[in-house]
Amino acid sequence: MATLLTRGAYALPGTSLNFKTGTWRSEKPQHKHWAAPCHSACPAGEDAQAWLAKVQEHKPREAWEALTRVNPMPAVTGRVCPHPCESACNRGQYDESITIHGVERWLGDQAIANRWTYPEAPKGAGGRIAVVGAGPAGLSAAYHLRRRGFEVTLFDAMPEAGGLLRSAIPLTRLPRDVLDAEIARIMGLGIDFQPRHALGRDLRLDDLRSSYRAVFLGIGAGKSREWSVDGAVPGDYADGLHLLKEWIAVGGIPMPKAVAIHGGGNTAVDLARVWKRAGVAEVHVITASALPGPGADPSDVLNVVPRELKEAIEEGIVFHEHRTIQRLLMRGSKVVGLEMVRLRKLPDGKGRMARVAFEGTETVLHVDMVVPAIGEVVEPTGIESLMHGANYFRADAFGRLKDAEGVLVGGDSRGDRGTVSAAIGDGRKAAEAIDAMLSGRDAVEERRDVVTFDKLNLHYFERSRRVALSELPVEKRTDVDEIEGGYSPAEASREADRCLSCGNCLACDNCWTLCPDSAVLKMKEIASDGSHYRFDYDYCKGCGVCAVECPCGFIEMVADD
Amino acid sequence: MNKIEPAAPEAPPQELSPRDRQPRWRGLEAGHRACQGCGEALAARLVLEAAGPDVVVTNATGCLEVFTTPWPQSAWRVPWLHSLFENSAAIASGVEAAMKAKGQRTKVIAMGGDGGTFDIGFQALSGMLERMHNVLYVCYDNEAYMNTGIQRSGSTPHAAMTTTSPPGKERMGKRHMKKDLLSIIAAHHVPYAASTSVSFPADLRRKVRRALDIEGPTFLLVHSPCPLGWGHDASRSIEIGRLAVECGLFPVVELERGELGGVMPIREPRPVTEYLKLQNRFRHLFADDHRAREEREHLQALADHNIDKYHLRGDGADPLDTAGIDTVRRGGPLR
Repeated sequence: MATLLTRGAYALPGTSLNFKTGTWRSEKPQHKHWAAPCHSACPAGEDAQAWLAKVQEHKPREAWEALTRVNPMPAVTGRVCPHPCESACNRGQYDESITIHGVERWLGDQAIANRWTYPEAPKGAGGRIAVVGAGPAGLSAAYHLRRRGFEVTLFDAMPEAGGLLRSAIPLTRLPRDVLDAEIARIMGLGIDFQPRHALGRDLRLDDLRSSYRAVFLGIGAGKSREWSVDGAVPGDYADGLHLLKEWIAVGGIPMPKAVAIHGGGNTAVDLARVWKRAGVAEVHVITASALPGPGADPSDVLNVVPRELKEAIEEGIVFHEHRTIQRLLMRGSKVVGLEMVRLRKLPDGKGRMARVAFEGTETVLHVDMVVPAIGEVVEPTGIESLMHGANYFRADAFGRLKDAEGVLVGGDSRGDRGTVSAAIGDGRKAAEAIDAMLSGRDAVEERRDVVTFDKLNLHYFERSRRVALSELPVEKRTDVDEIEGGYSPAEASREADRCLSCGNCLACDNCWTLCPDSAVLKMKEIASDGSHYRFDYDYCKGCGVCAVECPCGFIEMVADD
Repeated sequence: MNKIEPAAPEAPPQELSPRDRQPRWRGLEAGHRACQGCGEALAARLVLEAAGPDVVVTNATGCLEVFTTPWPQSAWRVPWLHSLFENSAAIASGVEAAMKAKGQRTKVIAMGGDGGTFDIGFQALSGMLERMHNVLYVCYDNEAYMNTGIQRSGSTPHAAMTTTSPPGKERMGKRHMKKDLLSIIAAHHVPYAASTSVSFPADLRRKVRRALDIEGPTFLLVHSPCPLGWGHDASRSIEIGRLAVECGLFPVVELERGELGGVMPIREPRPVTEYLKLQNRFRHLFADDHRAREEREHLQALADHNIDKYHLRGDGADPLDTAGIDTVRRGGPLR
């Protein structure tokens, strides 16, 4: 464009646009969509930042759709997940982390109440896949395969789908109407569900492999570990998971005067609380791990949903951390007490961690029942050829087994998982791997760098406390009523508004307002990077003000030559 | 073969470029020659954004004048006049009188830097205020003569290094205090004289609109960091301006008819050293020298004095205090 001059040789206004100050630049700003810490911490692979943003926009339905592209059961995970997302949340370093599980649960409940449905799954053109086990891993695999256009036959040994969610999680944590609703919605995608089909009894692995294009095994860990203390086993031996399942199924449970549960997982804590409510005066949990608290090493802490632990302590369960059972005091086959000893996991000098019991710290606990809840292993019947005598499957990140093409595994049967969310993530990754395998491409799992707290500009956020969730007081807790309450729409919205939008555009206008060179353009349409702004590199001088003043760390300066 | 060529389609209506479709009034356009991270360039754009198109701008000599109008180009999209260093207020007075004679309500904004306002254009400004012209005078305060190479002005803060107030054996930077211009303006009994900072755009915009709504002379002092003259990283301009306000060295206040009106309360006053240490012009204050320590304490005392004098210490958290006013939410600033 030539410089416009009037007849009097006066420059017309606006002509400085002819001068491209962008040539001065040595660095340029660019948008970088980082992974928020909540996203990278989620075993299911949810991008909480993305769906919280939709809640902030007052579009709960779109939020739920974004969420369920990854996790089909938010009403369940919002209740039972130990939410590592909240532990990772950057806001926790500012004031208090976002109550992600509360908003997730609210979205899940909204979907159930308003009968929101998944987008219609494409007609099965990809062939038929067998999914064995209708727990969280199998349901997730079936769901994701169906949404990718595969036909799915889903087998389970039990009469109803749900796996451990149905058989082992107390109603106080997960009301069954919620579970039923989310399972029904998954089945509504057109999944052929075959209950009462157990692997090794009604199904043969070879038949599955020859009749289906791929097989996903989400069979869980159903076999109790052997347990004894120096060879001694009580006469009334029963393992914790079995007792919990029986109590949930039929409502009966033995009633000792005092009981000790050996283990440090959700089963131990759930069972302890059931017993306490049933009227057992003394309930002890003996665990080799530590209770969470200041100074506790996160890798050494009990693997329990934090609020469940808090509630259990409120209810009067006694926890013995860093202890193990060294000896059972028996009268005949009857337990009359046990001897505990302090121990720690310490490096053994060969680079591994070993448990070291400390002599001289023995104490006696008088209980008349001892129950182990130390985890389970895979029941190998029917899949001996895949197990090679191990307790769990050894598979890659997508669940693929090295020596059995077309057979994928996920969930608790892997042994390195242990949460519902991880199982749901396994199901999703296996669906991607199966899809990739059958269409002859490489499986991909999106990975982005994680944005750290120091990249945010906190000046632009007011401090605020998290919106509290209601909770039944100890004296009102029963065996059937859910203990933690949900958010009201206003509360969910207020909590979602606290999200700092780590690593993603907040559309706050800061860059647009504060650019001294008008080199940030606001666009009506959303740019491909997810923001509403575009850099006009014709004029950007590369000062970096936008990068410093972006509240979310969404802008970074890179060399520009 | 005789083939009939189809008629050329009519030229489609010219698409507006994204720049032309920005949802704000563009009074000062890109392509100006301000340095990277220039606070003044941003401040001037924000003033015009708030003022809207129906204005005439007069401009004293200075950075703003130079970087916006390298002949034959101009970054201004409003009528703009420049004559000399000392007479921005005088020209504005004349333009205002002419507008009045024509019965036109176009608002007149006089602009100048701190050199053209505190020192060189001061008598013209005083006359404009005394004659009660309906003009908004905006002073972009970057605290020295930056255009000519960083010489001290009446606005340069105490102890700052400039090329004419170098630190050395005799002095630790500028010997004198920053002139309290706002009080002098207020002593003219004008309806509205206020200070604001480019680091608080919401406050700046509000004050421009407020001033333009008032009939009579109004004055706005806009603190505008200068990466070159202050010696700080260009990307830190906004942050440094914010720190100046948060430590109390640059009080953000409104004086109405000489009386203290509103102030922007400081949520948590910051120590002045946080502000000083980011800038080379105060680098000598961090030398291992008892005089450096003394001058740091002096500046802290000046900041504390401002906080007391203008009652800047907030009474608990306030949505419009230094920490609350910039709060953002998805989709734009909170207010």
